[in-house]
Amino acid sequence: MAVIEVEGLRKEYRSRRGRTLALDGLDLVVPEGGVFGFLGPNGAGKTTTIRCLLGLVRPTAGRCRLLGADSPKDLATVIRRVGSIVETPTFFPRFSGRRNLELLGRLHGIGRKAVSEELERVGLAERADDLVKTYSLGMCQRLGIGAALLKDPALLVLDEPANGLDPAGIKEVRELLRRLGAEGRTIFVSSHILTEVQHTADRVAILSRGKSVASGPVGEVLAAGRSTGLTVRVDDEAGALEALRSAGIPASLDDHAIRVMLPPEEAATVTRTLADRGLYLTELRPDEVDLETVFLELTRETPKEASP
Amino acid sequence: MTALLAAEFRRMSSRHLVRILAGLALLGITIAGVIVAVRSSPQVGADPRFPLTMLPDILRGTSIPLILAGWLLGASFIGADWRAGTITTLLTWEPRRTRVIVAKLLACAASVFVLAIGLQVVLGGVLALDAAFRGTTEGVGAPWWRESSGVAARAATLASVASVIGFAVASIGRNTAAALGAGFAYLAVIENLVRGLRPAWQRWLFTDNAAVFISGGNVGFSFQRTMLQALVLLAAYAAALFTVSAMMFRSRDVN
Repeated sequence: MAVIEVEGLRKEYRSRRGRTLALDGLDLVVPEGGVFGFLGPNGAGKTTTIRCLLGLVRPTAGRCRLLGADSPKDLATVIRRVGSIVETPTFFPRFSGRRNLELLGRLHGIGRKAVSEELERVGLAERADDLVKTYSLGMCQRLGIGAALLKDPALLVLDEPANGLDPAGIKEVRELLRRLGAEGRTIFVSSHILTEVQHTADRVAILSRGKSVASGPVGEVLAAGRSTGLTVRVDDEAGALEALRSAGIPASLDDHAIRVMLPPEEAATVTRTLADRGLYLTELRPDEVDLETVFLELTRETPKEASP
Repeated sequence: MTALLAAEFRRMSSRHLVRILAGLALLGITIAGVIVAVRSSPQVGADPRFPLTMLPDILRGTSIPLILAGWLLGASFIGADWRAGTITTLLTWEPRRTRVIVAKLLACAASVFVLAIGLQVVLGGVLALDAAFRGTTEGVGAPWWRESSGVAARAATLASVASVIGFAVASIGRNTAAALGAGFAYLAVIENLVRGLRPAWQRWLFTDNAAVFISGGNVGFSFQRTMLQALVLLAAYAAALFTVSAMMFRSRDVN
């Protein structure tokens, strides 16, 4: 079952300066369970998509469904099972973290005990009674995560949840997301920290200029990426470097290995060039493709759309 | 809806501005009580002796700061939500926008009414003590009770109406300053222009109708209007503004 379904979602913002196309017919399906990474460069439309899903922004065209309910029309029927953070979480600055969560919890009959437990879980128990205006950005982010988890949701929609967190906080969030995903919940998380997503998500979608340019299990999306370089090891590194450069092959020395800027299908050119000089390889392997490589390839290759 | 309303009431009662204004009002009442006690002579036949029969006139006078405070509280209640961005957080918990804005408005208007009544009761109590010990309660009877409670209820109603107007304008402009600026422009510029250029339109002005309503009739006014007519007109202004703000709130993108 799909917990998020987006079909032909289009959002156009109009202002005095003209029109800006934030989403351009986005299609997206997020299956139930696990962590789904939603990636894209700044301005790709990630936050707009999340705002459309949560009924905060009205789409110009298209439809989106959350846990089977049309958003925003029937969103109220499922909102109790959806926890979310949209950009930087916002709370009343002159109320304590505890009071903020109590006010929200009250809307769905969630009691003080659950609020205290959530504050404990996100590491804010000691500062729970301090005013939110005294919180750091990272603490606000933790409070936002606490608020999102307060409903014990089946679906978590998190927009850049690691924003403002220190490395330890980022690690905690990563582990929390994994744990929540393993519990059978669905975590839909947008992020620009690609390595984090690669290590946390089961599936990803990559967004560029308001459209999905890749979507699927992380392994499949990585397989679609092309390695752009080769790593070569040889006993005579200086001689090999000179031989490659004189043959017009871009290469550089990198930590006792030679990095050759050729795609894997041209590996034979490297072996032939070195063998002609009497240099024999001890290792030749294509560079590993990571999400960042795929992301950059896909978002760079997407043709420019006429936006504003 | 009940849970939403309860949460909004709790938020309203926890607001610093509410507590500050209530504290200032109580301080002012205390100072006024002391001044009246000091100036009033307890001896029969002496002058001046504070008569409790003045209370309705005093309540008419204090209705002006109450109305202004109501307007400010209404505007800042929703304005703070827009400014802090907490509307976004709230809508991810309760996406039915009409319910959200109606609950906020009800909590705001009812709280302002109760606060206004409470402050006037305290004021009346302090002045009653002054009159009992340092002045006179002569003339205090059933008609006085009726008049005093009537003026207090009408002042609280007007404060509540003003809070609705402040709330609606701040919601349309998405911040408190919008309501304060619009209110100042209306009172200082538009009403004076109308009085100067179109005296016949005076009957439609907020302050003139508020004065009719508080006075209990249009004695001394240049136009004919009953207290009930004035109330209906003011309520219609508030309802129209709130309807516009609610429609905008329903259809707007919340970024």
